[in-house]
Amino acid sequence: MTVDHAAAIPPHISAHLVQDFDLWAELTAQGENAYAWAANLHRSTPPIFWVPRLSFLSGTWVPRRAEDLRRILQDPETFSSVGLTPYAMLLGESWRLAPLEVDPPDHAKYRALLNPLFTPKKVDALEQDIRALATQLIEAVAEQGRCDFNEDFAKAFPTLIFLKLMGWPLEERPLFQHWTQTLIKSVDMQVVTDNARAITGWIRNHIAERRLDPGDDFTSYLLASQIDGRALTDDEMLGINFLIFIGGLDTVTSSIGLFFRHLARHPEQQAQLRANPELIPNAVEELLRSYSIVNMRRTVTRDVQIGEALMKKGDMVLISTELANLDPEVFDNADQVDFLRSSGAAPHMAFSYGVHRCVGSHLARRELRIALELWLKLIPPFRIADGTQPRFSAVGVFGMEDLHLQWDPVVGTASATPAERVSA
Amino acid sequence: MKVRINQQACAGHARCNHVAPGLYSLDDNGYIASTGFSVEAGQQALALRGARACPERIIEVLDEPASASTGAA
Repeated sequence: MTVDHAAAIPPHISAHLVQDFDLWAELTAQGENAYAWAANLHRSTPPIFWVPRLSFLSGTWVPRRAEDLRRILQDPETFSSVGLTPYAMLLGESWRLAPLEVDPPDHAKYRALLNPLFTPKKVDALEQDIRALATQLIEAVAEQGRCDFNEDFAKAFPTLIFLKLMGWPLEERPLFQHWTQTLIKSVDMQVVTDNARAITGWIRNHIAERRLDPGDDFTSYLLASQIDGRALTDDEMLGINFLIFIGGLDTVTSSIGLFFRHLARHPEQQAQLRANPELIPNAVEELLRSYSIVNMRRTVTRDVQIGEALMKKGDMVLISTELANLDPEVFDNADQVDFLRSSGAAPHMAFSYGVHRCVGSHLARRELRIALELWLKLIPPFRIADGTQPRFSAVGVFGMEDLHLQWDPVVGTASATPAERVSA
Repeated sequence: MKVRINQQACAGHARCNHVAPGLYSLDDNGYIASTGFSVEAGQQALALRGARACPERIIEVLDEPASASTGAA
């Protein structure tokens, strides 16, 4: 975790594999051109290259081909997830984010606790709640003719669903929204530490309360669960709760922001979905592919050669979902967003591969689909708000730091706007 | 035509089930419920689409007639 801008290149790394740029800094600087720039890396870099720094992190391998990333993610023995995040360490504690930071075979024990809660069937049961929450948020801004998309929708929507899913009080929304943003998006370690302390404090209190007074919520479910025939420890409870918190909130916020920036910038594709709402599930897949947001890492546990890259034990490997999803070996015209692209023909890896595949993927897909459906139904054609400039950031989880949308409101009949009433 | 699934390697993406729910059943954890099955006539294209949708590439289609191969879409 040390800041080491003048890092020497380790001797086992061939000079021709070194690319002297900071991937996250470049992507951030590219702004609206970030994904086109990333797609071009497939033409300008070796299949696996090495960058000497990554924001506040030191040098790492960057495999860009989907096939190499699949092999890496399907081999957790060689590519370990242990110690991925700094949160416990920053607090001087020793819990871990389970199952994210746990390798097989222990991984499966934690994962087994979460899987039944996030199945496609379980998500089906949430559909009406998700629709109701989205409708409420959209109707609140419909007549204003513009909104701060992050504050008014993209942050609030997944936070409310998360609180509902966890069985935690919905009134805590502002607090959780604040924590999410400051924890994941900040590069100021003091800010991250303070917020990690506040969040763990809230979770620990909640665990203590539920221990005395069990209810129908996620924490109570964990309290009643067992691993290896024993109850979970407080640290295990904390790690799982904390993981669900960081996995489910910021990721959906970030994806929705990028999706809506795209639709605001491409009125013809917005019109295509308004005229053909049956394309929305495919559009969700295509937008997940085109605007992937998660960069994970793995630590090499034994020397391994992949193509030209000799990886030594202890090396870091970046799992860049956006590079895999822009791989021209898998996707024709990968930098083009095409809602008619057959999403089943070549699966994307926005939710990663292997045992750590995003446990909330089915819920995330549902939230994204409903957000698109209801916005296009309840709000007339929208665009980037006059006098504003969308701001993109690519640190850790990529997303929109700022996004304001504008439309010509249909006064009083917002909930019955026919698709044909085009006003822009 | 037969479908063979490396069930151990299933990661629960459930994309096969999304494409062809009648062929690819899931267990209570949202993972593939079987190690394979025989495909009835008329279901072959659907079975193939379900197999292609698997991000882990663990679904194998056997005895695929040449005519059913539609190439990469």
